Amino acid sequence: MPTWHRLASASDVREGEAFPVELNGTPIALYRVNGEVHAIDDVCTHEFAILSQGFVEDGTIECPLHAAQFDIPTGRCLSGPAMQDVRAYPVRLEGDDIFVCAPDV
Amino acid sequence: MFLRNCWYVAASDHEVGRNPFRRVILGEPIVLFRTEDGAPVAFEDRCAHRHLPLSMGKLIGDTLQCHYHGLRYDKTGACVRIPGQDMIPPSARVRTYPAVQRYHWVWIWMGDPALADPDKITDYHWLDDPNWGAKPQYLHVRANWQLIVDNLLDLTHLAFVHETTIGNSALVEHASVKVQRSQDNVVVTRWIIDQPAPPTFVKVGGFTGNVDRWQIIDFVPPAFLRLDVGATPTGTGAPEGRRVAGISMRNLNAITPETESTSHYFWGQAHDFDIHNRETTDKITEQIRTAFLEDVAVFEAQQVNLDLIPNPPQTDINADTGVIQARRILDRLYQDEQAAEAAPRVAAE
Repeated sequence: MPTWHRLASASDVREGEAFPVELNGTPIALYRVNGEVHAIDDVCTHEFAILSQGFVEDGTIECPLHAAQFDIPTGRCLSGPAMQDVRAYPVRLEGDDIFVCAPDV
Repeated sequence: MFLRNCWYVAASDHEVGRNPFRRVILGEPIVLFRTEDGAPVAFEDRCAHRHLPLSMGKLIGDTLQCHYHGLRYDKTGACVRIPGQDMIPPSARVRTYPAVQRYHWVWIWMGDPALADPDKITDYHWLDDPNWGAKPQYLHVRANWQLIVDNLLDLTHLAFVHETTIGNSALVEHASVKVQRSQDNVVVTRWIIDQPAPPTFVKVGGFTGNVDRWQIIDFVPPAFLRLDVGATPTGTGAPEGRRVAGISMRNLNAITPETESTSHYFWGQAHDFDIHNRETTDKITEQIRTAFLEDVAVFEAQQVNLDLIPNPPQTDINADTGVIQARRILDRLYQDEQAAEAAPRVAAE
């Protein structure tokens, strides 16, 4: 069964910034794009850099090391050197709390 | 890889006087001297006649006389005297470079003289500001200039290379780091909260308990690194902008390539406490010098390997974020310069 985890307050996650957290021990990061909160894996699929230490621009996150770009809402890899997408997780807001859905193991 | 259209530090102000002074910069021999009114002058250090370094010659008034056959050049680089003949061939002149004195350094413009604007010289006022103490220093390094830039943009090395002076493990294990970038600038901000002070900070700052320590690295191409560093007793509000009861310093670095594998490393450590006490300035400078000599040993060992194995593959780690962003700016500026240099030729063809 997928389970929902409260990982942040709404005010923690701001436009243009990454908010790194863990979901069942997996590093993920929360972002706010045009008001909507999104959650994606925080490890680059190329050389395992921490994406949240990179650069948020126009709804994308650019890897701090080799400039691979990922679409924040979907986790889709937009440009190399990474070849694989990062995983995106369902997000739910309840009042001031941000919940992220952990998939079945 | 050298960028030409920028100001570089050519020398410390005391190195340049009425004795011609030679220094190789971007692979070009340069001679520096001062006119009788004290203005710095920079020539290519090669007589137009038979290539002897003009730095072996001497100043006669405001002309520089070659040691070999006595040709004399005025401050515009034009030959004004050839012993034994009246006619001076039009080709008898040496290349001159724009030169400016600022912040106890003599700066040189190595590119197109028409683009040289002294207002674009990077600010190093801390070196001659009455509100700061400082003593500018010079180190010769047998390593490529970019290895030094890399070093100053990733200070996690302090924990390993400088554990007896300015480093401790808190820098790596308990730091929050943020990298900001813009067109021609990278800023790496590191905060270490409620951790022990490193040995040098204890010596010069007298800290007895844990501190909040900051390192804010400002990179401007090609190789200007100005570090705002310091610490305050923990919990006194430095992260929120209240720096009280601690020490604040500027670690100021300007690296000038000598050749592809050697560099001139100009630096100074400015401090905002006990500013008129020469002993304090000397003590701080000595501590940082000890650390920098440890760095130089690293650069030179890296260069030995890079000479043996040019352009080897390398692994990047998260701490390299600032280093990589800076290298990207340098690569872009280099491509732009190469394209601009090629453009007029293409148009003419």
